[in-house]
Amino acid sequence: MRIILVLLAVSGIPRVLVGQRWERQVQERVQRTIAAVGTSPGLPVVRRSGMLNTDEAASFQTTLAQHTPYAIIAVCDDDCSRLQLTLLSPSGSDIAKERNSESLPILHFTAETTAVYGIRVVMEGCRWNPCWYAVAVVPLRKNPS
Amino acid sequence: MASLRRWILVGLVGCFALALAYLPPRGATPSERSFFMPQSRRGTPARQRAQALADEWRGADASLRLLRARRELQGLLREARAGTSLVVVSESADVAIPTPPIVDSAIHVAWRQLGLGETKVRVAVIIQLAVATAVHDRPAIEEGIAAYLAPDSTDRTTCIAVLPAGNYWTRVFRGARVSGRLPFDAAVLTLKTGLGPCAFYAAYGTPGKSVRGWLVSRGWDLALTVDAGARGRQGNSPIGMAEARHYSYWEPIYSLPPTAVACIASRPEGCRAAVLAGASDDPAIPFPDIVRIEQRWWRRIPRLVEGQRFLADVADEVGRDRFLRFWTSALPVDTALAAALKRPVGEWTADWERGFVQPIRLGPAAPLGGVVIALTIAVFAIVVVAGTASRRQIR
Repeated sequence: MRIILVLLAVSGIPRVLVGQRWERQVQERVQRTIAAVGTSPGLPVVRRSGMLNTDEAASFQTTLAQHTPYAIIAVCDDDCSRLQLTLLSPSGSDIAKERNSESLPILHFTAETTAVYGIRVVMEGCRWNPCWYAVAVVPLRKNPS
Repeated sequence: MASLRRWILVGLVGCFALALAYLPPRGATPSERSFFMPQSRRGTPARQRAQALADEWRGADASLRLLRARRELQGLLREARAGTSLVVVSESADVAIPTPPIVDSAIHVAWRQLGLGETKVRVAVIIQLAVATAVHDRPAIEEGIAAYLAPDSTDRTTCIAVLPAGNYWTRVFRGARVSGRLPFDAAVLTLKTGLGPCAFYAAYGTPGKSVRGWLVSRGWDLALTVDAGARGRQGNSPIGMAEARHYSYWEPIYSLPPTAVACIASRPEGCRAAVLAGASDDPAIPFPDIVRIEQRWWRRIPRLVEGQRFLADVADEVGRDRFLRFWTSALPVDTALAAALKRPVGEWTADWERGFVQPIRLGPAAPLGGVVIALTIAVFAIVVVAGTASRRQIR
């Protein structure tokens, strides 16, 4: 069953990973991480990727459904040493921040209400600029209560 | 009487010849160069104005060309096969033409010789071949000035270089027979140097804000070549090539900024000032970030003798990891550079400069021969006076 879920999650990913080596690296890495955390069937995985120089930040917004547990994961390429991931409330204030996991920060969050939340990535350490990163907002299966 | 008249005539002819050589033409102002150098014909104010306008036009045209290339190259870069970080296109009179095979081959050899393979920042090179017939409706392209567009002004992973080939290289690239064998090695060397800042972007990525601001503010003069080659006193500068006893050695020294002269004199504080000029705590980086570089070294007035290879030599000395830490550092340039060198910047640079130029002595100093003659005369005078005084007796 888990394998089927992984395949379902992966099916939304472009089949041919084109681009530079580092871009392919983060795409493969985020794909593996999504597979490792597992996804909830029926809900899409939101993904963003790009590149940042040291100390630069990128933000995007996504809608999180109420009472759905999410794993927000960020990965970066081999030259990146530290990546900071922050979840922002609809009003723009910090809800959670992960900066201790170096190049693989993960946040777990369950929204009280459906709303548009912000996600910010800060490239805190990149030894060969620019460093590629990818973020995935993965809806998890709800625990049976 | 006839002899005197002849000498007067010779004198007058001599004066006329000197005036012809040294006085500026009518309506022109003399250049600010040394009085004893032949005066260059600066032209009338109208001519100077026309040249200034032509230079502005060339600058604007080069910038436009780069921005146009940014759009045109997108498709080409997308189509480029994975693993390729170098794209070469050619044009002549603003019309795209197939890249001559020798150019393609030479630039790929240059790329390999620089140790560049697949890089995070790709380089797109536009070779501008000279047009066969002169165009009179616009200023001619100045062949020695290359223009570069930084990755942050493109898609963040592509640096664009526009390299005017000039008449000689255009003839070579088009297969014309030149004297001797085809100078393929020279073409490789020229293109290698032509990559300029783009080679640094490819090798080390985008620099941190402080390093980038520092380099931008001084026109990347310390990072013009990523492959410095062997060090020695036969560098690419009149000072490196001449000997101190020749006049040609001193003339360029007098045209250098004071800090560069102090550095030649092995003064660490002068070297430090020459290297760190332009470094700022709050650097301003223009957008689009376009750099125009004069590639003819004899037309450049360096802030530091052999400065074009300074950062290449720093990288060579400290190794890639330490250089990358400096390159991407958020610290001020002097701190980051000293940390990479593990020495004060001035001291390291003074040692480095001694590798190219014999240190000179600064300040007032009498020549040894003059001192000996003066002392001899003084001693002679004292002896004569003493002798005279000893014989003169008052009774």
